[in-house]
Amino acid sequence: MNRQDFAVDRVLSHTLKFGAYTAFVLIVAGLALQFIVPWGNRVAVAGLFVLLATPGLRIIAACLQFLHERDFRYALVSFGVLAIVVLAYVLGIQA
Amino acid sequence: MTIAAMLLLAAIGFCAGGFGALAGVGGGIIVTPLLAIYFGLPMHQAIGVTLLCVIATSTATSSMYVERHVTDVRLGMTLELATTVGALIAALMAHRINRRTLAVLFACFLLYSAGSMIKKAWDSRHAKRQEVIPDYTPQNYPAGLAASLIAGGFSGLLGIGGGPIKVPVMLLFMKVPLRVAAATSNFMIGVTAGTSAYIYWGHGNIRVDIAAPLVAGVFAGSLLGARISPKIRPVYILMLLISITGWLAAQMIYKLLTGGFQ
Repeated sequence: MNRQDFAVDRVLSHTLKFGAYTAFVLIVAGLALQFIVPWGNRVAVAGLFVLLATPGLRIIAACLQFLHERDFRYALVSFGVLAIVVLAYVLGIQA
Repeated sequence: MTIAAMLLLAAIGFCAGGFGALAGVGGGIIVTPLLAIYFGLPMHQAIGVTLLCVIATSTATSSMYVERHVTDVRLGMTLELATTVGALIAALMAHRINRRTLAVLFACFLLYSAGSMIKKAWDSRHAKRQEVIPDYTPQNYPAGLAASLIAGGFSGLLGIGGGPIKVPVMLLFMKVPLRVAAATSNFMIGVTAGTSAYIYWGHGNIRVDIAAPLVAGVFAGSLLGARISPKIRPVYILMLLISITGWLAAQMIYKLLTGGFQ
């Protein structure tokens, strides 16, 4: 492990935390709101969308950090994973 | 959906997320059969909802493991090249497979997981916790990628993370320390499950009303579990999970034999 690994770790853990807490808060708020207002359910759905976006987000964050460190090999690897995830997303929409 | 049903789902999610984080296994494995057996969800829907729980566990626990520098992000990213391909192909295939066949496959996987957890519990009888991670360089990438492809396939087909397949291969063939292997697998399963989840979502197999309370419970359980896990011996939680998994496998086989899962 060297300093660079630690930089990636920091960027990623912030991204993961941001995604986890945003999704959690939105879902819990939506579940409570749906008993009070008719659009409450949509807040929970938005939370699930944030959750579904976290896999893509963490790859993008890693990719950008690798680029920043000029570690092009792993930037390319991250980009490859992102391409497959985006392909799945496109195929999912078409289904 | 009634408040009681919502609370029940949240409680199931809390236990699955908490046990999963504490024992170092994906809690998703108990969610699918519970939904399929006791909530009467079709297999594809039960799997679709479980995929969201897997993403939630991975995101919540990985944020801490990555922060503690236990996760090998470069290794995980490389192996994800294979898991995502496997997951994508399998998720597309799963929608051409009928419910009963999926249930048979799942029951087999439950038995395999129970076996691998028994082995894990047996191995960790006297083992002390690895406090310091030894230096290592991942070896034998072809074996790791092949195992990841298969693990990804199971993830897309059955909605599980695939840890019981990846972790032993990383440990034995790639010579990665156990804690690093488990944390890296944990990081990967979110991306793998995400890939499959898009396909299940597109086919309308992710029920929002069921997923929302379940995922909320999983988040709370796994955040708490990952926080207290360094202080707890996993053996007792493993034993609990082995019992639950065995019971659910028996229930699934019984339901299959009596003509269920149509």
